[in-house]
Amino acid sequence: MIAPNPAPALPEHYFRHESGRLVSVLSRRFGVHRVELCEDAVQTALLRAVQSWPQRGLPDDTSAWLYRVAFNEVLGALRRERRTDASVDVEDAGLVAAEVSADEAAYLEHEVRDDQLRMLFVCANPGIPRESQIVFALKILCGFSTEEIALRLFQSNEAIYKRLQRARSALRERIEALEQPEIGELASRLPAVLEILYLLFTEGYSSAQPDVLIRHELCEEAIRLGRLLDEHPVGATPETAALLALMYLDAARFDSRVDGAGGLLLLEEQDRSRWDRDLIGVGVSYLARAARGEVFSRYHAEAAIAAEHCLARSYAETRWNEIARLYEMLDRIVPSPIHTLNRSIAIAEWQGPDAGLALLEAINPPPWLLGYYLWDATLGELYRRRGNVERATTHLTRALAAAPTHAEQALLRRRLEACNLPAFREGGSK
Amino acid sequence: MSTTKSKFLCLFRFPVGAPQKQSSPEEMQAQYAAWTNWMAKFKEELIPGGPLKPGGAVTRGGNVTDGPYIEAKEVIASYATIETTSLARATEIINECPIAAYPDYSVEIREMGYGKP
Repeated sequence: MIAPNPAPALPEHYFRHESGRLVSVLSRRFGVHRVELCEDAVQTALLRAVQSWPQRGLPDDTSAWLYRVAFNEVLGALRRERRTDASVDVEDAGLVAAEVSADEAAYLEHEVRDDQLRMLFVCANPGIPRESQIVFALKILCGFSTEEIALRLFQSNEAIYKRLQRARSALRERIEALEQPEIGELASRLPAVLEILYLLFTEGYSSAQPDVLIRHELCEEAIRLGRLLDEHPVGATPETAALLALMYLDAARFDSRVDGAGGLLLLEEQDRSRWDRDLIGVGVSYLARAARGEVFSRYHAEAAIAAEHCLARSYAETRWNEIARLYEMLDRIVPSPIHTLNRSIAIAEWQGPDAGLALLEAINPPPWLLGYYLWDATLGELYRRRGNVERATTHLTRALAAAPTHAEQALLRRRLEACNLPAFREGGSK
Repeated sequence: MSTTKSKFLCLFRFPVGAPQKQSSPEEMQAQYAAWTNWMAKFKEELIPGGPLKPGGAVTRGGNVTDGPYIEAKEVIASYATIETTSLARATEIINECPIAAYPDYSVEIREMGYGKP
């Protein structure tokens, strides 16, 4: 239904992003220990906007309007608190200062950017468990509700709620350090901040949630916050640029990974003309910016691998030797049998399935890896290529049983069927 | 064809004490869009009212009491006026109102003016 006179539209996710900005600005003004009060105030301001804007039209400066309402809301709550709790008096000086500045048009863009960045560093507080950090960042900086986070991270509302509470209580215990954190002091948390963004992106990128939009959003948020970080001297390191490169290069291939019916497509099957050339361009330029200084981080290695794929003209023309080398470098920075697993695939493409299998047989897989469906999927695929139908079937069947999502199960079933095709059986080894 | 128009007062009610589900910012933005679209669609007939604060006073036989002034169970949250041809048409407009998405809300529509019950 189209309205005859469309209402003044707000930019997409305006409320959600505005909520992240406002909570960040207010928490700096009133202290991070009052973050919940600030969240409530922002909620009230948005609610009032919903009630008033449709009737009176949009204010000239919607952000300033929301800021004013939320700011007064916090002040009002603090005054009520002060009347009933004498201990709040201690902070009178701070409150008066806040009241004075309320008259200024204190909503400067660069200030807001700094405040959000500061909040991102607060989320990376070492006292907060990593999984709570991510949930807290999604709540505070991205404006998602508990339910929306649960949906995006495939967890129950209760689990998300608990993680939020854990983050809040960790912050309450460390109030003194966080009252007015200087960005310089927080620079030591940069690795943790990068990891939060990396995990946020990976969550959106690799989850097989059928709703593409929902997955996109996590990736978009990771990129948005990554750019914020990159715009400030404290965050503009080669690692940040490498992480942005990685995110853009992966995002470029986002949509091509599924077929029309939502099934997963292998890299080999993807239509490379659907890869987003613009995003690849941005990713490559970040990669160029990442190539400075002495650092070669895990993000450098992963971005370089993504770039190799994005820039290869076809699957066959991929520089598998280069990719195998990069996985080896990655494994040296962050050792993990998962990297060896990936390297074996690159080596199999480069030197044949026997070379790939030799690499896998040489490692001593920890128990968790044996239960990981991609371990069996890779072995199954390499044995299939070698013509060993029995072993291929065993591994693919095991992988199928352990695959976490329907899309991945369907993909494995497809492989398993290919493995047992009569033509294949007769043809023997390829 | 000329039709006379009447004014209808629409009172938006919600139950007192019902647990109000907190909307997320994304949901609130969707609500904003729904309300503005509704108002734009019927802008010839719809005269926006405004929100009403909770509480108030009632006078009865010279005695002034606090609310609840209607019933203990409900509160009027806001109002609007519709200027249109018939009660049926006013009801049609209200039926398209985003308020329909709030299960516990109701709207009372009353034609303004004198008349027999």
